[in-house]
Amino acid sequence: MESGGVSLVLQSVGFGLVTASVLALASVGLTLQFGVTNYINFAYGTYLVLAAYFTMALSTRAHLPFLLAAVLACLAMGVVAVGIAKGVMQHFVSRQAPLFYLLIVTFGLSLIIENLVQAIWGPGFQTYNLSVGSPLSLGPFSLTPIQLVIIGLAVLAMVAIHLMLSRTSLGKAMRAMSDNKDLAQVSGIDTERITTWTWFITGCLAGLAGIALTVTTVSFNPASADSFLFVIFAAVILGGIGRPYGAMAAAAILGIVTEVSAVVVSSTYKDDIAFVALVVVLLLRPQGLIATRGKA
Amino acid sequence: MDLILPYLATLAIFFFVYNILTWGLNIQFGYAGVLDFTFITFVACGAYFSGVFALGPGQKSTGFEWILGLSWPFPIALVMGALAAGLLGIVIGLIAINRLRSDYMAIVTLATGTVIYGLVSNYTPLFDGFDGLAGLQTPFTQWLNINYNQFTYLWVGFCAVVMVICWFIAQRILNSPLGRTMRAIREDQEAAEAFGKDSVRVRLIAMSMGAVLAGVGGALLMGFIGAFNPAGWTSGETFVVWAALIVGGRGNNWGGVVGSFVVAVLVNEATRYIPPIPGNATLIPTVRNMLIGASLIAVLWLRPEGIIPEARRRFYQLPLLPGRRTPAEGVGSAGS
Repeated sequence: MESGGVSLVLQSVGFGLVTASVLALASVGLTLQFGVTNYINFAYGTYLVLAAYFTMALSTRAHLPFLLAAVLACLAMGVVAVGIAKGVMQHFVSRQAPLFYLLIVTFGLSLIIENLVQAIWGPGFQTYNLSVGSPLSLGPFSLTPIQLVIIGLAVLAMVAIHLMLSRTSLGKAMRAMSDNKDLAQVSGIDTERITTWTWFITGCLAGLAGIALTVTTVSFNPASADSFLFVIFAAVILGGIGRPYGAMAAAAILGIVTEVSAVVVSSTYKDDIAFVALVVVLLLRPQGLIATRGKA
Repeated sequence: MDLILPYLATLAIFFFVYNILTWGLNIQFGYAGVLDFTFITFVACGAYFSGVFALGPGQKSTGFEWILGLSWPFPIALVMGALAAGLLGIVIGLIAINRLRSDYMAIVTLATGTVIYGLVSNYTPLFDGFDGLAGLQTPFTQWLNINYNQFTYLWVGFCAVVMVICWFIAQRILNSPLGRTMRAIREDQEAAEAFGKDSVRVRLIAMSMGAVLAGVGGALLMGFIGAFNPAGWTSGETFVVWAALIVGGRGNNWGGVVGSFVVAVLVNEATRYIPPIPGNATLIPTVRNMLIGASLIAVLWLRPEGIIPEARRRFYQLPLLPGRRTPAEGVGSAGS
């Protein structure tokens, strides 16, 4: 019984790694945009769902190979994110509207996108034509090949984000804008171009996260990312707004904590654990694990 | 006639209830600038608690279970529902309202609402989970011996009386020193704090007062329909009240009346009676939700102050001082 309990916990750590991978993809995407534009996007959860539906439409309706469909859906989501930012948000940003305008606007956008998805593809659950494969035993963990692919993909994406932020001029400009937008602008950084690229990257990462999320949950509907959005918010705030490395660390912590807690309490209340973490962070350390000056 | 009058009476009830709801959100957001993205949770709190105070005890064996079940007269149950919502407003406010950036307020309220929604839906001993409360006898009918149509007209009158009371409460707060402090905090939190105003405490009061009105509205819905379950308070319903407030105009209660008529009655309730399109039953609610989201964005884009803007309040200025212009002032009115 004792060893059974331990192996159950270890097994849930394995699932925790999968959740952490999905969460890392999503929260790094959100925190990059949050840092550069300095407002949160409440429609981000629907970006995840939209990319999942793009992939489903391309793979099961247009009969493209799943991998190609997923790549196309991520790129499409990047373009859609730029389009929404240029078409809707830009109007309010350029007029220096109060912050709550943008919060309400993105809130309204989430309602529009979720219902648009429902109008096009219906409210029911959808699945991919994808065999999950039988679980492989790796030490104490037992994970399916797809889950291993997701973990590998997330690690690759994190390395790519790290290289982009530390080696490319785009990444450096993004960090500069996140620290101080006005200073970045007078230093000759083309802030509009950087913002556009940021929206493209955040859209692609949201797409990747959305596909990974829906592959792990197997079936999904237009409301699938609604409660996951708060786990993403928790990771972003825990990591410190605009701090991609903080978001990665927070995603790892939250992913494993929520999955292990599901062993102790019912898995129905998994997302509530993330919420408790969010509240504790806000009360004790609102600036996040890694503090961001001027953003708390 | 037999069909149109009860239908109009039903619309009137929804109009009166949404007036109360919009004023409640107005106290929270329009007066004090609290971004409450889970307003419908307070409405649900009022509905559930008025329900369990008015209903008889639930019995697990029959598949109906809920807490309390005291069979109290409905008007007292309504007050209890409003108080419960006000308490919940303080609890959520204590987590959400602090001196941090306003996004946090929005995130925490929305997250709290989602958690409460999950808890109420899944934990059946509280309010019978997804099935929700049901079987509340229409209030007053046992004393008056009237049929359902007559009850509908009676309920229009009851809602109107409650609405007028709520109007006086909302107007009283608006024009009181407390309301002025709320608006000062909304405009510039730091400046208000520099003048010694406790912004957290004042915003908590606003959150709780708004929640009380939400609870009253929820209780009125409960009394009218006699049942309440999680399908009635999805997060999309919060948008309806938000859209009513933003479209009508925030910071003044007439704006709330116009907004609740346009959004909550014309767009939201009246479209419920369009027969579903064959083969795509969910299309009309879907389009309605998109319309509500779009109206929020369109109003903030084209006329951010809403249909009825908040009246600018004039204060005596020393004539020798150079005309000061605040960002909220329109061109031409400054320095007068």
